[in-house]
Amino acid sequence: MAAIVRLSAVCRRGVKPLFYQTTLLARPLVIPHKHQEQPYMLTARIHASQALYAASGSKAASLHWTAERMLSILLLAMGPVAYFNPSPVIDYSLAAALTLHGHWGIGQVVTDYVHGDAKIKMANAGLFLLSTVTFAGLCYFNYNDVGICKAIGLLWSK
Amino acid sequence: MALEGDRSGVSVTRPQYSVLYRHAAPMGTTAKEEMNKFWSKNARLNRPMSPHLTIYKWSVPMMMSVTHRGTGVGLSGAISAFALAALVLPGNYPYYLDLIHSLSIGPFLIGLAKFGITFPVSYHTYNGIRHLWWDIGKGFKIPEVYRTGYTVIGLSIITSIALAAI
Repeated sequence: MAAIVRLSAVCRRGVKPLFYQTTLLARPLVIPHKHQEQPYMLTARIHASQALYAASGSKAASLHWTAERMLSILLLAMGPVAYFNPSPVIDYSLAAALTLHGHWGIGQVVTDYVHGDAKIKMANAGLFLLSTVTFAGLCYFNYNDVGICKAIGLLWSK
Repeated sequence: MALEGDRSGVSVTRPQYSVLYRHAAPMGTTAKEEMNKFWSKNARLNRPMSPHLTIYKWSVPMMMSVTHRGTGVGLSGAISAFALAALVLPGNYPYYLDLIHSLSIGPFLIGLAKFGITFPVSYHTYNGIRHLWWDIGKGFKIPEVYRTGYTVIGLSIITSIALAAI
């Protein structure tokens, strides 16, 4: 019956406005018979329940997702910079960006495959330790040794 | 929106939300809680997991996704191993590089080793760009998925061979 409501809306208004109808965003509902004469009430009701959903969460996961993509783009940009302008600045930036990108990446792998509250906590703690040691090691290498850019250069000059 | 044109003799200018809440039934748990419940119940009942990887027909997009994850984990592990080595091993980088030189490994094996580094980096980078393309909402049609996929594979092979040959 919901399909019939939508179809009549298309026939009245044409195809384009169909995309802006929120009924398309709703899962099919079993509509009690008395509501079928009032299609606009259906739209408003779906609006109301979406508002209730939206109030209950935090934006942390969404922000994390965005941060991951921003970091990926930053890391992509660092490649050419490291090649054309090697320097200690890019060495340390690369150390930070690579470690964080790897940390977040393995974090997603842990989220996918590790289940159970205790195991998740353990896995993430282990990962945090690994990433900390990795960053420390890379910084140590940048400070006390040739640095990341030079190291790659030397490796290729064999 | 449906509220504009169709009055049908009923004068409703705004929906009465207090009435509508009666019909809305939001979920009381988060997705995370639901997932945990699923896993703990099935683990407690010792249920075996349904076969998935062993029975589903492998496809190019599937393999590319696995490879993206595999190269990511591999590269991350290699970086961590390098960092750990830097902290633990006594000599400095040029010392160990000279050590490898002195082993007089043939050029083919050196090239192979370089390819072993350049291919994961190239593939993960190019496929990463493909992922970012998806993240802005583009390229989801199946022919596009395959086209971009083959492009990534081709570019990765060419780039990694070219870099390994330098």
